[in-house]
Parts: sequence; C-alpha cells; structure tokens
Amino acid sequence: MHWLKNDHWVKPDLKRYRWLLFWSLALGILTFMAAGALMFTSGYLIDFSARMPLFAAIYVPVVLTRAFGIGRPVFQYLERLTSHNWVLKVTSHMRRKLYQVLEGDAAFLQAHHQTGDLLSLLADDIGHIQNLYLRTVFPAVVAGGLTLIATLLLGWFDWLFALWIALLLLVQILLLPWWSLLVEKRRKSAQKRLNQEAYVALTDSVMGLSDWVITHRQAAFVDGAVAKPRQLAASMQRSKQFQWVRDLIGELFFGLIAVSFLVWTSKYWTGGKLIADWVGSFVLVVFPLNQAFSGVAQGVSEWPTSRDSLAHLNALTPVTRPLPQQLPAPTEVGTLTLAHLNFRYDQDSEPLITDLSLTIHRGEKLAILGPSGMGKTTLLQLVLGDLTPTHGQVALDGVNVLAYQDQRSSLFAVLDQSPFLFNTSILNNIRLGNEQASDEDVAAALQAVQLTDLIARLPQGVNTPMAESGFDFSGGERQRMALARILLQDAPIVLLDEPTVGLDPLTEQALLETMFTVLQDKTVLWVTHHLQGVSRCDQVIFLEDGALTMTGAPRELAATNARYRRLYALDAGEA
Amino acid sequence: MIDKRLMRLPGMRAVMMMLAGLTLVQAFVILGQGHFLALGIVHSWQLKTLAGLWPLIGWFAAAYALRQGLTWLKNRLAGHFAAKTAGQLQEDLMAHLFALGPRAVADAGTGNVVTMALDGIPETQNYIELILIKILNMMIIPIVLLVYIWVQHPVAGIALLLMFPVIILFMIILGYAARDKSETQYAGFQQMSNHFIDSLRGLKTLQLMGISRQYADNVYQVSESYRKQTMGVLKIAMLSSFAMDFFATLSIAVIAVFMGVDLLAGKLALYPAMVALILAPEYFMPIREFGSDYHATLNGKNALTAILAVLAAPLPTQTDALTALPAWTSTSTISAQDLSFQYSGKRAGVTRATFRFQGFEKVAIIGASGAGKSTLLNLLGGFLQPGNADSDQVNGEDATAMPFAINGQPLPHLAQENWQAHLSYIPQDPYIFAASIAANIRFYRPDADDEAVQQAADAAGILTWIQTLPTGFATRIGEGGRGISGGQAQRIALARTLLDTDRSIWLFDEPTAHLDIETEAALKDTMVPLFAGHLVIFATHRLHWLNQMDWVLVMQAGQVVAQGRPADLAQTSDAYHQLVHEMRGDFDALAEK
Repeated sequence: MHWLKNDHWVKPDLKRYRWLLFWSLALGILTFMAAGALMFTSGYLIDFSARMPLFAAIYVPVVLTRAFGIGRPVFQYLERLTSHNWVLKVTSHMRRKLYQVLEGDAAFLQAHHQTGDLLSLLADDIGHIQNLYLRTVFPAVVAGGLTLIATLLLGWFDWLFALWIALLLLVQILLLPWWSLLVEKRRKSAQKRLNQEAYVALTDSVMGLSDWVITHRQAAFVDGAVAKPRQLAASMQRSKQFQWVRDLIGELFFGLIAVSFLVWTSKYWTGGKLIADWVGSFVLVVFPLNQAFSGVAQGVSEWPTSRDSLAHLNALTPVTRPLPQQLPAPTEVGTLTLAHLNFRYDQDSEPLITDLSLTIHRGEKLAILGPSGMGKTTLLQLVLGDLTPTHGQVALDGVNVLAYQDQRSSLFAVLDQSPFLFNTSILNNIRLGNEQASDEDVAAALQAVQLTDLIARLPQGVNTPMAESGFDFSGGERQRMALARILLQDAPIVLLDEPTVGLDPLTEQALLETMFTVLQDKTVLWVTHHLQGVSRCDQVIFLEDGALTMTGAPRELAATNARYRRLYALDAGEA
Repeated sequence: MIDKRLMRLPGMRAVMMMLAGLTLVQAFVILGQGHFLALGIVHSWQLKTLAGLWPLIGWFAAAYALRQGLTWLKNRLAGHFAAKTAGQLQEDLMAHLFALGPRAVADAGTGNVVTMALDGIPETQNYIELILIKILNMMIIPIVLLVYIWVQHPVAGIALLLMFPVIILFMIILGYAARDKSETQYAGFQQMSNHFIDSLRGLKTLQLMGISRQYADNVYQVSESYRKQTMGVLKIAMLSSFAMDFFATLSIAVIAVFMGVDLLAGKLALYPAMVALILAPEYFMPIREFGSDYHATLNGKNALTAILAVLAAPLPTQTDALTALPAWTSTSTISAQDLSFQYSGKRAGVTRATFRFQGFEKVAIIGASGAGKSTLLNLLGGFLQPGNADSDQVNGEDATAMPFAINGQPLPHLAQENWQAHLSYIPQDPYIFAASIAANIRFYRPDADDEAVQQAADAAGILTWIQTLPTGFATRIGEGGRGISGGQAQRIALARTLLDTDRSIWLFDEPTAHLDIETEAALKDTMVPLFAGHLVIFATHRLHWLNQMDWVLVMQAGQVVAQGRPADLAQTSDAYHQLVHEMRGDFDALAEK
C-alpha cells in the first residue's frame, strides 16, 4: 500500500465531488437492495396469499412488490448516470493536471521529438484510472456495503447464522479476489509485455513487407508475425480458463448460501403458520444478490494494470530549470551574439557545441549547414534558451536570452521540419500566432504565404478543419500554414530548422522563395540540409562536431573554399 | 440473429450443435433447480421437519452444481473453439497480406493493418464466444422455462410470453439507438481523447507561441463540454436498457401479484406459484446478459468484416509464369510495352510506358513528385500488377495482356518468384527490423556467416561505425532499439543487399532525398563503385545522380515523355530541359544574375 502515501492522482479526486461519489455508491447499493426486496416481498406475498387471508391483508405486500419492481431499474439507471458523470468530471481534472505537469516539465519540452506513442500511453493511463473506479472500486464497495447490511439485518434475527453468511460472503469479496490477484498478477504483467512484443512483431512484418515479399519466405514471415500474438492469445486463454474455474467456485459457494438459507428457514421460521410465511422471502432474496458479487473478483484482478498506470503518473516529477531574474522583452531588437558557447548534456557525455562565437546583426540571414547529429538543432535550442550553455552565453543586445524566457514568444519564432497543426480549423491554427489578430490580419498572412487560392477552393474556407476527410494538405501547404502563424506572431528573430526537408525540389524552391520574401525584415537563423537557396543568405556556417569548420558569405566561400564548391556543384547537379 | 459468415467458419456448425445440446440440457437443469427449491420452500411453509427437507436440498444442490458445471463446460468448449478459430484467422490474414504485397498494406494504412491483426482478432474471438454462449442461451433457455411456467400457471405464462416481444422490441430500439448513439458516443470519447493527445503533442508549439500556460484551462473546458455532451447521449442510450430492465422486473412484480390474487381465491396451490416466481427471473436472465454484451458484438462484427474483406481480396495469379532466370547477366533484358496502371481515385498512375533495359545498365527515372516514378518502380518490383486497381481481375482489364517481357518471355506482371529472387528494393526510408544489426544485414541470407556480414558492412561503408558501438554487430536497432540516422539506415539496407550476391537488380526510390548534402555525398561515394555488375533503376529528383547514369526516363503525369542517354537528352529533349531547369531553381536563377 506504499503507493497510497505518495499518491496525488487518486486521493484529491475522491475528495472533490464527494457527494456525487457517495450517491453513485449509495445508488449502487440501493439497486441491489431493491432487487432483493422485490423477491423478498414477492415471496412473502405468495406464501401469505396461500393462507387465503382477506384481500385487504395482502394490500401492503402488493404495493411494495410493485414499488420494488419499479425501484430496481430506476436506481440502476440513476446509478449508471451518476457514476459516469463522476468519472467524467474527474477525468477532466486529471487531463488538465497531466497537461499542467508536462507543461511545467522543462525536460519534456526540450525533447526534440515526442513520440506519439509515449503521449498515447500517458493518455491511456488516465483511461486505466477511469477503469479502476468503474470496474474495481465501485463494485467492490457496493459488494462490501451489501455484505455489511446483510450481516446486520440477519444478526437482528440470529447472530450466529449472520456470522456464517458473512463468512460465505467474505469468500466472494475477499478470498476469491485475493486468489485472482495472486494468480493473475504475474500473468497480467507478462501479457502487457507480450502485447508490446506482439505489436513490435506485427509492425515489423507489416512495415517491412516489401523486404519480406522479395525473399519469398512466406512461412518464416507468417511464423514471425504470429508467434508473439499466439503466445499472447495463449496467455489470455489461460487467464480465461482461470476465470471460468474461479467463477465456478464462486457460484458453488453462492449455492452454499442458498442451501444455508433453506436449512436455516426450516429451523428458525417454522415455529408457526404466520412465521412460516417468511420462508419464501428469505430464500428468494438470496438470488438477485448474486450479481452484486460476481464482478468483484474480476475487477480486483485488474488492479495490477491500474496500479502500473498510477505508479506511472505518480512518478511524473517535472524538471524545473534554474533561470535568472526574468526581464520584460525589449521593444527594439538589434544584435544577437553567441560568445564562446559550449554545451554538453552532462559531465559524461560528449560535448555537442565547442567554443562557438558568432554575431548576427538585425535583419541578417544566417544559413547553418553540417551533417546530421552534429549539433545544428542544439545550437538553435541554445539560441532559443531551451538549453542552458555549459559555458559562454547567447546574448541579445548584451542581455542573456535566458532572462527573456517568460517573454520569449515576442522575440523568437520557430518553424521546424514538421510543424504541428492542431486538429481544429485553419483559422484557429493560424490565430494561435496571435490571438488578438483580426480576420483581416489572418487573411493578410495567408495572402503573404500564398495560400489564398487554396483556401478559396475549400468548401468552408478558413473554417475548414485540418483533419476534414478528403483534404490531405501536402507538406508544402502545411509549412505555409505554419509560416502564416509565425507571421502573425511577428517575432523579430525567426529560427528555421530544416523546414524544407522531405519536399521535392520544385515545392522546396517555391517555399524558399516565399519564406525569404515574407521574412525579409527579420533576423533569420536557418538550419538546412543542403545548399538550395543558401545563396540568399548573408552568412553561411558549417558545423561539424559542434565547432565551426567553415564560415563566410556564400559568394566568398564559392570563390575561396574547395569543399564548399564541391558540395555546391553536387547539389546543383553538376558533379 | 446469427451472423451467416460465422457459420462458414470450419467446425462452427459442429461446435454449435454440441453447445445447443448442452444448453438444452442446462435449461432442464435450471428447471430442476427451480423445482426443488420451490418444493423445499413449500415443505418448510407446511411446517414439516428438516429431516424431510434434506433430500430436496440435496436435489436442489445437485441441480445447482450441475448447472454451474455446464456453464463452465460450455465456456471451455466455446472458448477453445473461438481461440483456435481466431488464431487460424490471424495466420490466414498474415499469409494473405504476404501474397497481396506492400501495396495492399499501404492502401489500407499500416496502422489499420496492425490494429486489425492485433486488436481485431481478439474482438472476433470474443464475438464467436458471445454467439456460441449468449445467443444460444437466449434462443433455448427461455422457451423451456416458459413452457413449464405455462403448464403450472397459464396466466403467468401469458404475462411472460407477452413481455418477451416487448423486450425484443426494446432491444431492437436499443439496437438502433445504440448503433447511432453509441457511434456518436464512441466518436465523442474518441474525439475527446484525440483532442487531449493533440494538446500534449502540440504543447511545444503552444509554448513557442507563448500560450501554453493558459491553454490548460482550454484542456479542461473541452473535456467538460464533451462530458456534458456525453452525459446527454448516455441519458438516452441508457434509457433503452432501463426500459428493458424495467419490463423484466415489473413483469416479475406483476405475476407475483396475479398469483397472489389467485392464491387468495384458492384457485392455485403454493407450489405452482412459487416455481413460477423462482423461474421468472431465470426466464429474463439470458436476454439481459445478451443486452449487456451488445456493444461487444458490434465491435466483433466490424472486426470480422474488416478481416474478411482483406481475405477476400484476390491474389495475383501466375506468379510462376517466368520459367527460369538463373542469373541476371550482361545480356539479360527486361522490357515493357504499353505498360499501364490506374489507381482508384484521382491519383495518376502510369500510362502506356514502353522501355527496354539490358544487362547492368544504370537507369534514372526523373520527374516532379506525383509524376509516377514510384508507381513505375512498384510495377517493376512486382508489388503492383498492371491494369486498373478498381478492376476485380488482378491482372487488369485484360487478363491476357502481357506488358512485360524478360529475356523475350512475355509476362502479365512481375510478381514472379524467379524475378523477385534477383531483386532488391531500397526506398527513401528503408525498413529497419527490431533486431540486431547483424540480423538486419542477414535478412535476405539468414545463413550467411559472420565474415560475410562483416564484408558486406565494410562495402556499405558502415563497418567503422558498427565497430565503435560497445556491442558491435549485436546492437539492437529498429523499434525499441538504438536510434540510427537516415544515412546509416541506407547503409544497412545496402549491406543487406550486398550480402545476397544473387540480387543483382537494384531498385532505388529516392534513397538520398532527405539526407543532408554531406551525408548524401559520402553515401554516393560508397554507392557508385558498387553499381558495377548490377542493373540499377533509380527514381530520384536529385540531379547529380544523372551524371552516373546510362539511361534516363523523364516522367510527367504518368507518362514517359522522353528517354535516352543523359547527354543526348540534354541536347534534344525540351521536357528534360524544362524539368532540370525547374529543379535547379536557385542555382540557375542566381547564376543568371
């Protein structure tokens, strides 16, 4: 139970909306009480009527029978609505909390790529906690409550018998769940691992299909693809077989309760004719309660999954970063200076940037070239202030950029390889750049990036959702949308991180044309993977192993540097 | 009620008959259980002794235990059959995908295919189990119980009989409502969780725009507004199951009251009334159980439909039409005459392409994106078959058309085992399997020894890098393994190809398009000498490769608009000139200044 101590994902929500929680549990108990009471009063009604009393005498049981008959479905309906409402309310809070935790996590934000899988996993964790409430906690609490009530009611008549029944019910709510947990714990974690492996195996098979096809090894392919899923299925099958056996045992124990009541009523309720009318009631009340207990063991055996998710979420401890005193952003921006910049992630890792110094004046265009993995993106992160240099600093008119982190978006704009566009309308996506922008401003930005024609062709214009089926925006079009967003943001310094990679040369050429036109007045740092368009820049630097190996104006380099000439010729198709 | 497609599954009929038999037995056992329970209650009610009650208790307990035992047995039988069938379906599915090739996967979407094979199979399994257990229960048990109750007390029998169609009616309404509502509800849930994942993915962007902090409230608001919508839907969706429950419990209450009145009038003995009361909930039990699993059956049905659709896709025939191709030599030829392929939808394919390559030529295919370069490569690799993608006939509108010829032998398509054995295909992002580097290089030749693997890695220019790794060739790469760069992935794919010396026909689909210029230059230095002794067919929009090529196909909107030696084309072809000029873009524009 050590997880309970450090938990900050379940406990706050149990307190929040506690009345809603109380009612959904109370209604759950009432549902089964009404179901039991229906059989109880019906049994009495029939037993009693068989004595042929006056009609008036059976009036009360008749009314009660009808009332409980209606009560059970009504309670169940209300219970379902209340519990779902509660869980969904809690989910909203958990989502905001997860978002806030990640938003405050410097490490998460620095990571260059966040794989969708990781994020889906985190979102799944919240789903597992929903299940914890709906499938494990609620049924267990309802069954526990019913056990308590049944024991107290029976204890009023015969405490020894009440004790015996309590013992049999404890088998249902403690012994069988405990046994399931014990048996299933290891199997569940194996299944989780196998599921992951099956996913990898199937992905490998499907993604690598063209390589497989030309080998003509169909048997090896099918075996490789289905081996893990088959193991997973076998393990799931063992789980099911266990569940069937466990449920059989549970039912047999339940049968023992029914038998106990038959014996008990025969001994306790046969003292006289009037008393014997209660025999049917006491025996029949047992059966509808079965359903309240049958789901408990299964729910509890799912606890390991929820526990993993809880542990996962509780382990999220955001990394915050020490920053200097934050300053308001300057209204005028001049020179960006990189002075003796050094960076490595920690003492043991290789240096990524070594003693790099550079000055970029207002409005200048700088191209950054170099093999991948040689620190180009790291350099941009340092300029942006996402990373803190090990030595040296990046300064804007003499002030360390780390002091502007709170106001950063008014100084720096970024366009990278695959800009993120939200699953909302084009208008909303572009307006993210500046939420105060008028429709005219947005239209002007779209005009500048030459998207006006494309948008005019869409049925809903700028209000077209990004994910609308049938419109697959191309890489170039998506980059233009992101560029429009940046134009609205209107930051004086723009960082471009290989925005044209993966585009064909014609699209690339057109996009570069647009980019350099609309960013004419901005300071631009452009990381690029080849030399197309580099001639438009004022300065070119080559980064290799974190250091500058070539630097100069493009024309200068073309005249004096053999290596530059060779790469240029290759890129131009002349080599 | 029972999906006819399921009945076609091998062994389904036999299992179903057996389970129907067991369910019938179980129905009588349930009857017996109710009978002895009622007798027991009447016994005590008559103030008789416990001694006389024991045999009744014994019979009741035996019937009860037998009933539960039968449930277990039915679960085992149905579960075993469903698992076996689902496993077989999965194998068939993968085998069929293999035969259909990568295009079929690309059309369906990789993610969809993986989901189908991973989640769709258990859903189908579940569906088979539900059909075998719950639907049979619903079809058999209520009838047996109804007949008995009718005999005991016709009024109760009539009440229960009348209630059944009412419940079925509600189930149909529930079915329609649930189909619509659950779809909107599911779409809502999906949208909500997608919006949330979307927010997490876009967090970095939001931060760059300086609005990440206030966006937290948006996350909450959106989640809350979906909650309100969802609750609105649930209120109605659950109303149908409420109605079903309501009629079931109310009818129990009603027959209790009816029988009370009859008993009062002395028209009825206690036993028939008691047994009817005990069996009434059992009568409704199967239908209520089915109702609670209704959604699972919908999912299973959809999954089965998707799987059967893949299994129904026709496979290429005549894959062994090419009689023999022991090796690709300097005199071997491959030619195409009026080769066409049309995708379904607007996307352009290839129209009437004609060409002939011989021996170890180096051929470039150039053109703007969407011009049909990749389609042509896929046709050459045998991953696509000529013709119309919409047509049912795999080999096109005219199954007798022979657009290809290898060494003069006419062929309908190139999904030929003897052709593909000499082939290697390297796309822009070669697939790296989740395995060791050595296993990745050995992919075409699992039996190759370590020395050969090392030589291949050396020739592909990646040996030095592998040797710097702490675990060398045993290093795991691919999903879940060490990340590698695009250039390294290309080199591993190259080593993979080099290891299998039978593979002397190389198809490249823009292998260097997304690499940086220095990596590209280094990779090119490695690749060009290796081209010797291979037929190389190379789709690219990087112009510098043309200097290494013997022959160039210029493609435009699916057509081969010009072909010839690069030097000749530069002299004679306007299309070639135009394309090269556009691709050079800035390089020309600035040179002209």
